[in-house]
Amino acid sequence: MQLNKVGIGLIAFFGLIGAAFAVVPILAGVPWEVAGILASIGVIWVLVAAGLLWYARRQKQKAAHSDWIFQQGLRGTATVLHAGSNATVNEMPLMRLRLDLEVPGQGSREVKRREIMPVFAARRMEPGLTLPVYVNPQDPSDFILVW
Amino acid sequence: MSEVQSSYAELAAARGFEQLSAVAPGPLTPLLVEAGGSPLQPALRGELGAGVTGVVGYLAYKRNKTFRFNVALTEVPAATAFAPRVFCIRRGRSTRDDEFYGFEARHSKLWTESTALNERYAVSTSPYQDPIWLRQLFSPSFVDWLGTAPPADFSFELAYGAVLGSIEVDDPGADGLAALCEATARVATRIRQECEE
Repeated sequence: MQLNKVGIGLIAFFGLIGAAFAVVPILAGVPWEVAGILASIGVIWVLVAAGLLWYARRQKQKAAHSDWIFQQGLRGTATVLHAGSNATVNEMPLMRLRLDLEVPGQGSREVKRREIMPVFAARRMEPGLTLPVYVNPQDPSDFILVW
Repeated sequence: MSEVQSSYAELAAARGFEQLSAVAPGPLTPLLVEAGGSPLQPALRGELGAGVTGVVGYLAYKRNKTFRFNVALTEVPAATAFAPRVFCIRRGRSTRDDEFYGFEARHSKLWTESTALNERYAVSTSPYQDPIWLRQLFSPSFVDWLGTAPPADFSFELAYGAVLGSIEVDDPGADGLAALCEATARVATRIRQECEE
């Protein structure tokens, strides 16, 4: 997952408006009861923005790690044994995949994987489909599935 | 008969296309996912361009407002092994304006030297694809063609072998539909050529 323009807008909106709610009434000398209510709302909004920022940052770090595996990792294949979904995130299915992973020098093993995919990609995940994988040379359990 | 229907009937007569009552292609590409299962209606089947068969049809769907496209759909199954997803979308195109999600599936922006291409389209691909293959696909002649020849509002999506060309004009007329078919066929042919090399 990656942050898009809407996400940047949401973070900016919650962060800036929340900060304004928290600070401006106090600076403007608004009565404490009202300022307290607005400040509480503002703090919640700032926390929402901080949470989104934290998630975006984590996704960026994951993406950087995946890029490293793509460049340095061992290339293998993953054959879909089973694919299913019973949840969606942002209208995208959270796919639960059972894969037969085959990597040169590491043999074959069965692994499970969860991936959020757009609908048009998810519907292609059928048993028998073979996809490329790149495996972390230092940690066989760490791999990226190319879909 | 509406103007759109008569444009399709005219195209069918001119190019010998088979007229279909409706086609439900399923959620093959992002635009078709957006359409939420709306059928192509009216729709025609036949040769979109030299050696490329497919379907051309009118796609309308409603989210918070009605979006209307004319699309041409064909297949290049071999492309999945090289680039599962390539999207070349006209800059400024709107497919939905009730979008409020801040996170989306990861993709990579394709870098090209062509200013004309970059000004006209946003090109993105699935991550971890062979960059050399993608550079070869977007050869100078193909980039030059994309920047100048297709209809002004043309975009295309390649997703797991399905190639969907689309234009945003409500009723482009038979000539406009023919241009959509030709452009989509040209894209499909280029992808097929690169897969075979």
